[in-house]
Formats: sequence, C-alpha cells, structure tokens
Amino acid sequence: MQAFSCLEIGPIFRALSRNKVSALLIALQIAVTLCIVVNAVHILLERRAQMARDSGIDEANSFYISSTGFAADFNQQVTIQTDLDAIRALPGVKDAMQINAIPISGGGWSMGLQTQPGTEFDGVGTAVYMVDEHVLQTLDLELIAGQPFQDTDIRWRQGTQRDWPAQTIVTKALAENLFPDAQYQDVVGKTVYINDDEPILIQGIVDKLQAPWVGWNRVENAMLSPEKTLFSTSTYIIRTEPGRLDELMPKVEQLLADSNKGRVVRGMRSMNETRERSYRRDQAMIKVLSTVMITLTLVTALGIVGLASFSVNRRRKQIGTRRALGASQGSILRYFMLENFIISSVGVLLGALLSLGLNVVLVESLGLTRLHWYLLPIGMLALCLVGLLAVLGPAKRAAAISPAMATRTV
Amino acid sequence: MLTMQELTKTYRTELVQTHALSNFNLQVEEGDFVAVTGPSGSGKTTFLNIAGLLETFDQGTYNLDGENVRGLSDKARSRLRNEKIGFIFQSFNLIPDLDLFDNVDVPLRYRGFNSAERKRRIERCLELVGLANRMKHLPSQLSGGQQQRVAIARALAGEPRFLLADEPTGNLDSKMAHSVMELLKDINDRGTTIVMVTHDPLLAQQAKRNIYVKDGKVSELPSLTTAAIFTAQAVNAD
Amino acid sequence: MFSYYLRLAYLSIRRNPILSALMVAAIALGIGASMTTITVNYLMSANPIPHKSQQLFYVQVDSWDPNEPAEEPNEPPDQLTWTDATNLMAAQKAPRQAAMASSAAVVEPPDQDAKPFNAGIRLTFSDFFSMFDTPFLYGGPWDAQQDANKEQVVILSRETNDKVFGGENPVGRSLRIAGRQFTVVGVLADWQPVPRFYDVTTGAFHETEELFMPFLLKQALQLPNGGNTSCWKTPEEDSFEGFLRSECVNYQMWVELPDTQTKQDYLTFLTHYVNEQKALGRFPRPLNNRLSDVMQWMENQQVVADDAKVMLWLSLMFLTVCLLNTIGLLLAKFSGKSSEIGLRRAIGASRTALFYQHLVETACIGLAGGIAGLLLALLGLMGISSLYGEFADNLTSLDLNMVVFALLLSLVCSILAGLYPTWRACNIAPASQLKSQ
Repeated sequence: MQAFSCLEIGPIFRALSRNKVSALLIALQIAVTLCIVVNAVHILLERRAQMARDSGIDEANSFYISSTGFAADFNQQVTIQTDLDAIRALPGVKDAMQINAIPISGGGWSMGLQTQPGTEFDGVGTAVYMVDEHVLQTLDLELIAGQPFQDTDIRWRQGTQRDWPAQTIVTKALAENLFPDAQYQDVVGKTVYINDDEPILIQGIVDKLQAPWVGWNRVENAMLSPEKTLFSTSTYIIRTEPGRLDELMPKVEQLLADSNKGRVVRGMRSMNETRERSYRRDQAMIKVLSTVMITLTLVTALGIVGLASFSVNRRRKQIGTRRALGASQGSILRYFMLENFIISSVGVLLGALLSLGLNVVLVESLGLTRLHWYLLPIGMLALCLVGLLAVLGPAKRAAAISPAMATRTV
Repeated sequence: MLTMQELTKTYRTELVQTHALSNFNLQVEEGDFVAVTGPSGSGKTTFLNIAGLLETFDQGTYNLDGENVRGLSDKARSRLRNEKIGFIFQSFNLIPDLDLFDNVDVPLRYRGFNSAERKRRIERCLELVGLANRMKHLPSQLSGGQQQRVAIARALAGEPRFLLADEPTGNLDSKMAHSVMELLKDINDRGTTIVMVTHDPLLAQQAKRNIYVKDGKVSELPSLTTAAIFTAQAVNAD
Repeated sequence: MFSYYLRLAYLSIRRNPILSALMVAAIALGIGASMTTITVNYLMSANPIPHKSQQLFYVQVDSWDPNEPAEEPNEPPDQLTWTDATNLMAAQKAPRQAAMASSAAVVEPPDQDAKPFNAGIRLTFSDFFSMFDTPFLYGGPWDAQQDANKEQVVILSRETNDKVFGGENPVGRSLRIAGRQFTVVGVLADWQPVPRFYDVTTGAFHETEELFMPFLLKQALQLPNGGNTSCWKTPEEDSFEGFLRSECVNYQMWVELPDTQTKQDYLTFLTHYVNEQKALGRFPRPLNNRLSDVMQWMENQQVVADDAKVMLWLSLMFLTVCLLNTIGLLLAKFSGKSSEIGLRRAIGASRTALFYQHLVETACIGLAGGIAGLLLALLGLMGISSLYGEFADNLTSLDLNMVVFALLLSLVCSILAGLYPTWRACNIAPASQLKSQ
C-alpha cells in the first residue's frame, strides 16, 4: 500500500496542478469550514460549561412568587408574617421565606465589602440576599463553618433604610475573595465593612450560592443579610418536597390571592424556568452554532460530492482506458480517495491557521477566551474524514466504470 | 473569395515547435468547390481553423472576401464568422438540449434578425435539407445523416458566401454520405463557395477542384496513381 | 437577446438538475444564514427615530466617585441623580427636554370584576411625546403646567387601554393607580421603537411601558425605583426624600437640540451648571459632560449584542463557503458545456455574447437561491425567535428593505461567484472543441 501510494502520488499531483482552481476551491472551502467549526465548537463548549454551573439551591423543587399591596389599609409587615406562616403550613412545602432577589434570575442587589474601613479602599463586589433564619433549609445551603442565623437576628428593613445588620453569612467564594490568604474556616469571626465604614461580622460560611447575574464574573460572590424587607413588592421563595412543585405552585398562588384582596399576586415562576430564561441566550447560541456547523459541513461535503462526481464523469473514458490497461477497481478508488486526501490536507492546514486567526479576532474584539489547543487536531481530523466520506460515493462509481468504456466513442 | 499568402502557423510547447503551416498559399475563387486532402498531421485542420477564423496565424496574409483578417478583434472575427462563413463538422456538433428549430436558430440569434426573419430562414433551410416536418425534434431523435443535414441547414441559415466542411461525411455510412455530398453539390450550384477537408479521395474527386496538403504546404496535385492508392486503401478500409 | 439567454439558462439548468440544485441549495443556505443574522443585527443597530436621531441628545454629567470613574475609561455615569434631573429640567435650556424614570404600580380597573394588575410606568415630562413623535390614538400629551403642578394625569398604552377600558376612548375618565385617582388624558397608538432607545439601561429591546405619567409624581407619590439604581455614596438619610437627594443615579434625560449652535449652547450651560454644583460641594470628578445623539448613545451602550456579532461573522463566513462551493460547481458545469461554447464561438458568437449568456444563467441560479434563501431566512428568524423568546420579539421580522437586500445580495454573490467560471468558459478557443474525440 505504502509503495503503491508513493507511485500514485506523483500523477495525482500533476493532475491536480492541471485542475488547480477546482482543487484550490475545495481546499479553501474546507479551510473556512474548519475555521468556523473549530471556533463554534469552542464557543459552544464554553457556554456549556457556564450553563453547567450549579446555582447552589434546590432548583428542581423551588419556585417564587411576588405580592404588591395597593389597598389603603394594606399592612406589609402583617401580610408577610401571615403569608409565610400559611405557606410553611401547607403540606408538601419543605420551607419558605421572603427574599429580596432570586439567584440567577437577572435582577438583584449588589454591594461592595472591604476588609478595611475608609473610602479610599476598594471593595469586593457581592450579591446581597436579604433572608431570615429559614435560609439554609429553603435554599438548600450547607453551613460549612460558623453559626446559622437565629430568629432573634432577623430585623425588618424599611424601604429607604441605609444601614445594615451587624452580622452576615457569606459564600465560601466570597470569603476567599475577601481574604485570599486565609483558610475559609478562619474567615468566621472576621469583620468586613460595608458602605465604606459600617462594620459587619462574618458569622458563617455557606458552601455555594450564585448571584442573580449569570453573566457576572463574580457570580459566586453572595452574602446573606438577616432581615425581612418592607419594600412595596415582597417576594417569597418556596422549596417543596421532591416532586411536589407542580402541585404546590397553583396552591400557593391561590392561597396568597385569597388571603388578602388588597394586593396583586404576580410573577410566579419555578427555578427551572428561571434557569431556562437566564441561560436562554446561551442555549440559543448553542443551538444556532450547532445548526450552522452541521449545515456548513453538509454544504462542504455536498460540494465535494458534486465536484468529485463531475470529475469522475469527465474522466469516464480515461478511467475505462486505465481499467482496460489493467488498473484494479481498488486502485481507481484509491486514486480518488488519495486525491481528495491531498486536497483536504492542504485545506485543514490552511484552516488551522484561519481558525487561530479568527480566534484572535474574537478574543480581542468580543472578549472570548483562547481556543483549547486540542480542538484543532480533532477538527482537522474530522474534516479530513468528512472529505473522504464525501468522495467515497463518486470514487466507488468511478471504480465501477467498465473497462469497455475505453472502446466506446463519445 | 479567399486568398492566403505565405501563411505560417507554429505551435509551441515546452519542448518542441511544430510547424503546422509554413508558407501556405492558396486562392479560392467565388463559387468554387475545393476539396483539401492530405495525410494525418499535414496541417489540414489548422488550415481549416485559420480559414474559418477559429484560429489566428503567425505570419502571412489572409484575405476573406476582400477583407484582410489579420489583427481583427475577437468581436470582428466573430461577426465575420457569423455573416460570411458556415461550418459543417464531422461530429455535427448540434446542441443536444435544443430542438432542430432552435439549433438552426443559433447563428441567426447572434446576427440579430427579428423573429419573423429568423423563422422564415429556419423554415426555408430545414425545407432545403428535407427536415421541415421534424422541426420540434431533438437531435438525439435523428439518425446521423439527418443530424448532419440539420448541421448543414444551420450553416446555411445565415446565407453565408462561404461554407467550410470538416470531414462532413466522416461519421456517416456510404449511403448517407452520398446524400450529404449531393446536398453540398446542390448548394454549391446555387453559388455558395465550399471548402471541404477530407481524407477520402473518392469524396474529393466529387469536388470541382482538389488540393493536396503535405507538411503544412500546398503540394502539387498528387498523381493519379497516388489517388488510386488512396482509393484502394479507402476501399480496403470499408 | 435577454429572453433567449433566459431560455438557454433554463435549458442548461434542466440538463444538469442535480448540479444546479446543489448550487441553488448552496446559495440558499448561505443567503438564508447570513440574512437571518444580518436581519437581527440590522434591527439591533437600526435607527429607531431616523428623521431626528441627530437632534436628540442623551445628557450625561459626571457626578461620580472621585476615586474611580463610573465605568472605565473615565465614562460618566449612564444615568442622572434626581437632583440633576430636576435641576436640568427646571433650567429649561433646551428647546425641548424630558427627564425620565421607570417605575411600577398597581392599576385597579374601574370594572369591579377585572383583577388589579401591576403595570410598568414611564415617568417623564410633556416634551417626551413631541420629542419622540409618539403617535396618539386618543387625546394627547399633558402640558408643562400639569408637569409643574404634579397633576395626576396618565397616558395609557394601547394594550392597557384595551385591557382596562375595552379599547374605547377613555380620555377624561378616571383610573385608580398606586392607590390614587388619575385622569386619563391620552392613549398611545402602537409605538415600539427598536431599539427602545429612550431607556436602554435595563436592555435595549424591551416593550414600551404600559403607563406614562408626570415625572414629579415620583416624589409626590413616592413611587418605587425601576431600572438600575447605582450609588457610589450611601444616601445621607433614611427616607424617600433622602434617597432622592442622594448621589444615586436612576434617571435618564433627553434634550432636543435642532442645530450645532443650540447644542453648543447646551454644552456651555452644562459646564456652567456643573461648576455651580462643584461650588456647592458636589461633582468631585473633573468636568466630563456628554451629549450623545441617538446613534452615538446606542453605540456607547453596545446595543448590538456580542452574540449577534459573532453570529454575523460566522454566517458571513458561511456565505463565503457557499460561494466557494458555487464557484466550484459552476466551473464544473461550464466546463461540461465547453463543446457547446466552442460551437457557438465558431458560429459567430462573440465572447461578450457568451459572457452575457452565462452571466444570465448564473444570475438565474442566484435569484432562485436568493428566493429560497429568503424562505430559509424566514425559517431562521422564526427559529431565532423561538429560541430567544421575548428577548427577540422585536428583532425577527423581515421588512421590505431586507427582502430587497437579500435578493440583491444573492444576485451580487452569484454573479461574483459566476465571474471566474464564466470568464474561463468564454475563453475556450472556438476550434478546440469541434473535433470529435
């Protein structure tokens, strides 16, 4: 085989050089295809990885709902207590609480924490969740160090209040961001400053809780603030027993709507739906890119099939003559496969350069990350295979041409 | 009608130079029917291509119907081909997708006649070759002789003064060849000048005038003995 | 001659149906993919108010933290403080001006059976409607006096009017919003600028609000903050008023400045204003005022999503592949016609004539590809719309411009793709193909 190939390569090259343009076109197509496919796969893998991140809460069994009072006699504080007592008493509800923002939902509150007081120091950005003593159970958090909130820790926060409770629980990621040199266990008991100089004691560390903004580079930074809010709209997050979410969502909505007519109950949504909405663009991008890659590869493959068929048809007589002169079917097949392989190789080599170039452009203009090196050889190999597969059909038809073709006119 | 003086045409490849024509001289009068014979590689085809303005030449002069064609632009040459020259090929060269009407129509389109004029000419030419009733047939539905008749009709459609035929009967059996030959003679009788290239001395004898090309030059007429040898070979080949 | 070429093209396409179909498919896919992304990008970067986008300016003043800019490199905050918004409005230094904010409140329809609902509110000034040429279905804007008097007047979106008043003319009727009685003064006809340029701080492609009411009611009725609120400094007191007086930004402002002179005057005024405030101890950063016209502001706010740009680039490369494909297939196709071309040359067709003939053929294929590509683009846009849901609602419609553009693009692309193969085909020497093999 090896020796045979060496014998064949010379004539193939000479034949190719007579059909430079067609060969070059195929090679270019393969190159651009590789360039698109490799970069698309790269973006796709990156998005996948982002979407696979865990928000930290029991998404499958959680949902939330908001209530806005409008009646003149509407009492926010009483309503919240009544609502929470009623929701928690529902069979199938594992736990529930009021919260000011929903993880990964897109809207929330952020603050800066700093380890030294003073306006001249930079803070570390973090999401703020205002929660009560039910937080660990409701959000399915694990307290990996320190103390949980007690009901006596929880205060009421007025709509325009500026100061902060004296203690907080932070995520492990935030603890490590605040004190890069310390073990996270040792961060318990440390004081950090909010609003430049207002001290807060870190009383506990939880394993993981994502911020509301999935595109934020500090999405793992979150702090829990022990307070219930008296804002115009109040949001409850509810965690159900496994599998009872669908049953409980309408029940809770009904309960809230019936218990107090002086408010609007709205915005009920499961965490699954929230995740779907928050990552919708990424999901969409993945699908678009996949479609583009598949159709593009198909177009390139069809182009190869079209040109190969054509070149086989044009050389029918020549192939018949070769067969008549003793070429085996295998050698005709090999001739076309080898021809295609040479073109593909040139294409993928060119494509590798193009891919790196496009990646540099994407990195610089749109802030994407660098290409993983292993995508290139995989892509090159895959496209060579696609090329060989595409040419297989026409090559087989060429091999099947009868030696009698040699004696036919026209 | 056609005057070639000291024509030279050389083909160059990387390794060799071939003198296809060298110091080629020929004069064809209006209304003549000239048969050009000669062995393979003698320059017959090159002569025909140059005479038909399909190829250019290196040196010498060529006057067609009083016009020196040397250095004419592609456009002018195309126009001359279209208006003054009709071609008949050995393999007919009909366009397989077009029916007879449209095949004969091809040169008229490039001439720019209006549709009534085109129709009149096409019908008359197909009538002349005896195929007026098959106008809507495709070439593949005809026999070889009929196809060649269509090709002749196409060549005549533009009413050229000058008809170039390249082995017009080469792909036909002797009966069909005979009828095509009769058609050509008929056309010549009506005043069209014909130059026919052939390797068949029997066919050549039917022309008014014979010339013999060898090594890219017009030779003296071959002796009758040579003609006889050719005839014998031709008979043997059959 | 053109119709003759058309007929020849038809015959030629029919002779090689598979090759021709491959070409049409390749062009269609390329056009389909690129038209989908071009449309999305076109709509994202569309000028939402073309006739006066260069006379409308977004106002920015740098009231931010002395230690760091609102955004690198030295960008002023993208919104105003309450103090600045109300001061600039009170100055009335532009021919037209409107500060604005977003908020929300519960609407209680007069029909007792209809459920109260939460509605998005745009708080603004009467100039908003004349500046942005909002179309009115009923009534019209409130006036400057009503702005100053903080009158409880409201303009409804068409949808809200349909919902609350069943689509009837509600002008003069009363509506309970945020627990107060409001008088309806107008109903907007359908109005959805794309992008929703007047406030892009929470996303550029949101729906317009359900209610519009005077800006100063925010203070009078203590309406909640919508949109983004950013503070570099904690408010100095715990009250609604305290928040309004703080350095927190939550308000946008547009001015209409018809010519460079008025623009220059307004910039001078802003400088003057900021210096005045500096004297009062505010504005610790160096002078950094901005007036951006609509398109500049859209550019500044990076309204065109990066994903859309990536898709655009990829789809243009996709189109390139499809064109390379078409060039290859055309080469193959035309080289199969070399004997016919040789014959036509012999019979007297000039190169030009043959060039046109083949160009017409390519253009036919291109046009067929373009039409098929348009259908694919429609499909693609439907796909984008279903994938992106409400994010892309206003971004996935093909307008006439885009249809014409798509057809032109496919025509130009196919002719470009056809040039080289056609040129090669027409350079076949007339004599070369006439001998039988």
